[in-house]
Amino acid sequence: MTDPIQPSRRDFIRHAAGAGGLLVANPMLGSGLASTRFSKGKTRHIILIAFAGGVRTKETFGRESNIPQLKALADEGVLYTRVRTSNLGHFGAGLSIFTGVATQRGIRENSPGSAPTVFEYLRKGLELPAGEVWITTSGGAQQVNYASSLHPDYGPKYAATTLDGDGIFNDEFKRLIGGYGLPKEFGAGEQRVLGSLRGVLAGSSESLQSELDSAARVESYIMQELARGATDVSGSNAADIKALNLARNLLSVFRPTVVGVVLQDPDVAHRSFNGYVEVIRRNDAAVGEIVRVVREDPVLADSTAIVVLPEFGRDRDLNMRRGLDHGDDSEDLNFVTCTAWGPDFGRGRVINEDVRTIDIAPSLCQLMGVSAPQARGHKLPGLLG
Amino acid sequence: MLRMEPWTGRLKGSLVGSGLEIRQGDIPGLIMDARAVRTSFLDFMGRPPFERELQRWSGMTRHALATALMGCEEFWQHWINEQLFYLMLIDNFRPAGEAFEQLPRELATHLLAPRDALHRLAVSASFDLRNPGADTFVTVVMEQLVGRNVQNSRGELAGGKAAYDGREARFLGKPAKNQADVVRIAIEDRAGTAHLLQREYERIVHRAPDPRELRGWVREVHREPSRLLEVMRLWYLSEPYDRRLEEPVAKPNRLFVRSLFVDLAGQVPAPDELEPLRSALDGLADSRPLRSVVARALIGSGRITLANKESISDPTIWITGRFERLLGRKPTADELEVFLEAFADESCGVDTIVYALVSGVEYQSY
Repeated sequence: MTDPIQPSRRDFIRHAAGAGGLLVANPMLGSGLASTRFSKGKTRHIILIAFAGGVRTKETFGRESNIPQLKALADEGVLYTRVRTSNLGHFGAGLSIFTGVATQRGIRENSPGSAPTVFEYLRKGLELPAGEVWITTSGGAQQVNYASSLHPDYGPKYAATTLDGDGIFNDEFKRLIGGYGLPKEFGAGEQRVLGSLRGVLAGSSESLQSELDSAARVESYIMQELARGATDVSGSNAADIKALNLARNLLSVFRPTVVGVVLQDPDVAHRSFNGYVEVIRRNDAAVGEIVRVVREDPVLADSTAIVVLPEFGRDRDLNMRRGLDHGDDSEDLNFVTCTAWGPDFGRGRVINEDVRTIDIAPSLCQLMGVSAPQARGHKLPGLLG
Repeated sequence: MLRMEPWTGRLKGSLVGSGLEIRQGDIPGLIMDARAVRTSFLDFMGRPPFERELQRWSGMTRHALATALMGCEEFWQHWINEQLFYLMLIDNFRPAGEAFEQLPRELATHLLAPRDALHRLAVSASFDLRNPGADTFVTVVMEQLVGRNVQNSRGELAGGKAAYDGREARFLGKPAKNQADVVRIAIEDRAGTAHLLQREYERIVHRAPDPRELRGWVREVHREPSRLLEVMRLWYLSEPYDRRLEEPVAKPNRLFVRSLFVDLAGQVPAPDELEPLRSALDGLADSRPLRSVVARALIGSGRITLANKESISDPTIWITGRFERLLGRKPTADELEVFLEAFADESCGVDTIVYALVSGVEYQSY
């Protein structure tokens, strides 16, 4: 039975071909054509979920009824119970998962970091096109900076394609675009003319043409998501659910090599402990949907690694508003739990020794046969089966 | 060396060594072409010029523009919008109410100094909601208002958090006992002035300021906060701004949306139209695909008036006019040839040409 809100690959290609006429048959569409430079292991796809917003182990693996999906994943994979992190702010701590470098970032800083991300390492090392590496986020403008760094050897040309669920698919935007009327589709003749106009404006460049193709593919995907309504979600953690649903849809449409997800809504804990726990439960269920897509897909099932961890925990004690802040330097704040599941990983293994959140990026790069020279973390012990 | 009088724009006196050094107005380097007018409006008004403004200011000097526009209510509205964006007081966190709506007018009529406006934003309920909890609140105040790295200022952070929670403490060397004290002390701190000037310079001139010059500006503005406008006018007339005009920078999404509406529809978008579009575009690291969607939707919406193709008697003039209006320059010979060829193609409409220009690479920068 087909999920009504999940597009089929055929739907996507049909839609893409008609979406403004900008997308023509693209040889890089879909998986299996991207790169032959993988390592010898079975892993061909990585899903890295920053279960972020500040989540303590007490409310996850300390109370497993809150996270049945993660628990099931951990039972079949490797569970790291003491993952050291730093209170670098949500953005800085989240970024360190993806870069393997713990760098203080301004809590409202809105620019990329200096250390390359796992996306850049993998795109450069495996020669992956933009359509093979995605990140979906829930935290608005700041989180697009997870896509790439300012590093001169990497940077935007190796960036992940970013979608912020609550930005692109906010109700007001959809209503506005709907009010304007759906953009007209270009006929073949107009498309040809448009190509020549854009060509002379941009100057002739093969790399630019590739960029335009990539942009057209994303444009097409966005149009489809807007039309489908798969992101019509409301509630206290709507942004996180949108980010997770987008990731799920991307997996089923593109089967990309890398999908990153960054969540944020558990930070409601500052004001509401109960709300925070509810967000954790819902996010766990949405992660379960991603796992279901992976398990049911004949290609992804035996070739996908999933890693889930928060960027940091929260304070040991409730604040005066009966919420939980993050600033007390307690073990609840500084140690989180990481779940790793995949065809090359150990099964049913629990690692109690201290590791660090900055070990994730270099370990995943190594798994894929790519080096991460700027990362400061080390290979995770006991990860491989 | 001369300096400009804050509100009249008249030049007088000397501030050699303070960094408040400018060149006289009517020299060739300060005469604006269409692109310079366009860039100046985007930098200071947050939108491109309307057609009549482009005609009026092309060939005039930056000095004249600085005198006429910098400090007006629209200028301050844009300044406030940029501060809100910097503080991430956007979307649901955007402050509302008379106290905030009046800010541009109060700044334009000198009832308020920019520093006071910043203070009003930082003591708002929106700022509190955006930065919940003592740790987050004080960290943001230290980082965004003072430019301090909290990792290296643990003692200050602890003091600020204690004050936030209502205990008597010291914050940035001054006694504090509540949340309001934390904000006030940060705003009034000399480092706060330095941080404001540094980031404002980078926002306008798009490069880092010379440290010696920065010290001079800090001295002046910290002593008299209302002089920020004067200093900004001097930046605009400086040689680094000449270089900024020669080196276009990427257009932020909020400026892209405002550009599109002014250029195509001849009006500034209403906030309830701008914000959802801006917010959606900000959700992409590379927003070009979605910018194209927005441009296509707007062009096809019936809200913009495009010339009837049959009524265009001289395509060369019309195409050149579109280049000047949308890109601030004439087409090159190659571009004109290709655009004229396209115009003659029956499958090409005037909307095709406009769409090509606003979705092209050059329109994404300014």
